[in-house]
Amino acid sequence: MTTATHMLRTGRRGALFEYQMAFRDLRASVERIDLAWSLAWHDVVSRYRGSILGPLWITLSMGLMVLGIGVLYGELFRVPLHEFMPFVALGIVFFGVVTATINEGCDTFVQAAGMLSQTSLPMFTFIWRTVLRNLINLAHHIVIVLAVLVYYGFWRIANYPVALLGIFFLIVNVAWISMLVAIISARFRDIPQIVASITQSAAIMTPVFWLPDRIPPRYHLILDANPFYHLLQAVRAPLMGRGVEPHTFAFLAGMAVVGWVLVFSLFANTRRRIVHYL
Amino acid sequence: MKPPPVSISCKDLTLRFPVYGVDAKSLKKHLAKIAVGGRLGSHHGSAEVTAISNLSLELKAGDRLGLVGHNGSGKTTLLRALSGAYEPDEGSIEVQGHIAALLDLNLGIDPTATGMDNIRLRGRIAGLTAREVDERLPEIAEFSGLGAFLEMPVKTYSAGMQARLAFAAATAVEADVLLMDEWIAVGDADFQKIAHKRLLKLVERAGILVLASHDVELLRLYCNKVMRMDGGVASPVTDIKKLDELLAA
Repeated sequence: MTTATHMLRTGRRGALFEYQMAFRDLRASVERIDLAWSLAWHDVVSRYRGSILGPLWITLSMGLMVLGIGVLYGELFRVPLHEFMPFVALGIVFFGVVTATINEGCDTFVQAAGMLSQTSLPMFTFIWRTVLRNLINLAHHIVIVLAVLVYYGFWRIANYPVALLGIFFLIVNVAWISMLVAIISARFRDIPQIVASITQSAAIMTPVFWLPDRIPPRYHLILDANPFYHLLQAVRAPLMGRGVEPHTFAFLAGMAVVGWVLVFSLFANTRRRIVHYL
Repeated sequence: MKPPPVSISCKDLTLRFPVYGVDAKSLKKHLAKIAVGGRLGSHHGSAEVTAISNLSLELKAGDRLGLVGHNGSGKTTLLRALSGAYEPDEGSIEVQGHIAALLDLNLGIDPTATGMDNIRLRGRIAGLTAREVDERLPEIAEFSGLGAFLEMPVKTYSAGMQARLAFAAATAVEADVLLMDEWIAVGDADFQKIAHKRLLKLVERAGILVLASHDVELLRLYCNKVMRMDGGVASPVTDIKKLDELLAA
């Protein structure tokens, strides 16, 4: 058995100690990352048990949505299909994983109440569970990405290393946002609705369905100050063989550092209390 | 290397709870309160309850401790603290050995998943590797007596079947330290008999048992020591023979 057989829990000993304990929780969760993986896998398998296509059902419906929106909006915006279709496909798939991870983040601790109140499992394990679950789903949706890239020939000009870097930044940033809403939602039960409406308006304000170059320069703040735009752009642009502006990566790196420092501090300060919120 | 002997050691353990009312759980109401400027009541509209105060406890292998006390006296809180779920506000808890908490069997059961998936999940959480879980799966499945139902979602089970599943899954892992909130009696008469046997085996194998119960006969049967909780304050640990005196006090 790989479980540690020694457990020590102590009272408050100042701020530094709380950070140490939070870090210990993080380390324990990484050492038992296979547990988070099992939980994530369990979620995916049990959700789709009995359906033949499994999570590919979502992929299928997503694919139909891509087709519909691609054809309709391409016509409305008068953009050639071979350009608009891959744009919308990549947008829907990657923006989908961003919003799903954040929205499901709200339930992370609430859903795990039973386990948290009678075991000493690391709390970070449940954050990874939510993130990994969405990555498993993303792995299914990659089918759409591949299909579009191959069909429209973008696979030849795509810049894969930059796209991978973009996906890395996407995961790192989405993970902290997911954790942030997990903690706040445990404390305040009306947060999930607020988060849902934020991600919903983000889907409209971010160029998922519309082309960013159509926006007049005076409204450029909608793009530059929009974290979702940068998250999406860092993955989508390289896959379509376009360059990513350096300030996008600077924005994402800064956001990751600030976000994680913030969330980790919040976690260090609320870690003892989270189980009582539930 | 020989592992250190099984033990539980609590020193000056104090646990306080914030109790969040419905209002305290709403951010909108929170903000409204700030806007209006009225800060009625205590800390953010939540009261603080001291669930356990200054408890010290030393247990070693072979100890079978019974916890007695009225509802709300802190028995379950102590068990949850020993399981590692609740962090002490003051003092410390140190446990050597693998802990299994049978506090609320149904917690952690996923009603939309099948019985088999739930057993796997429970085993993984208890610290088994995926392979170890697979090895024990047939035995757990057989013990639960649910047969073909194990392939169906748990939400389709009757209450008794759910209890069988939860019990079979939760008791499949041996532990050095066993924490129990009331002696678990589940299922129909037949199942109760075999469940009882299984629990006894688990208790025998465990180095330490901590059992919270209102059933005096039960405590006499399984425990050799007893401690009384009263409003979060614990009595000294005494021999089970003095249970009557302890209860009368």
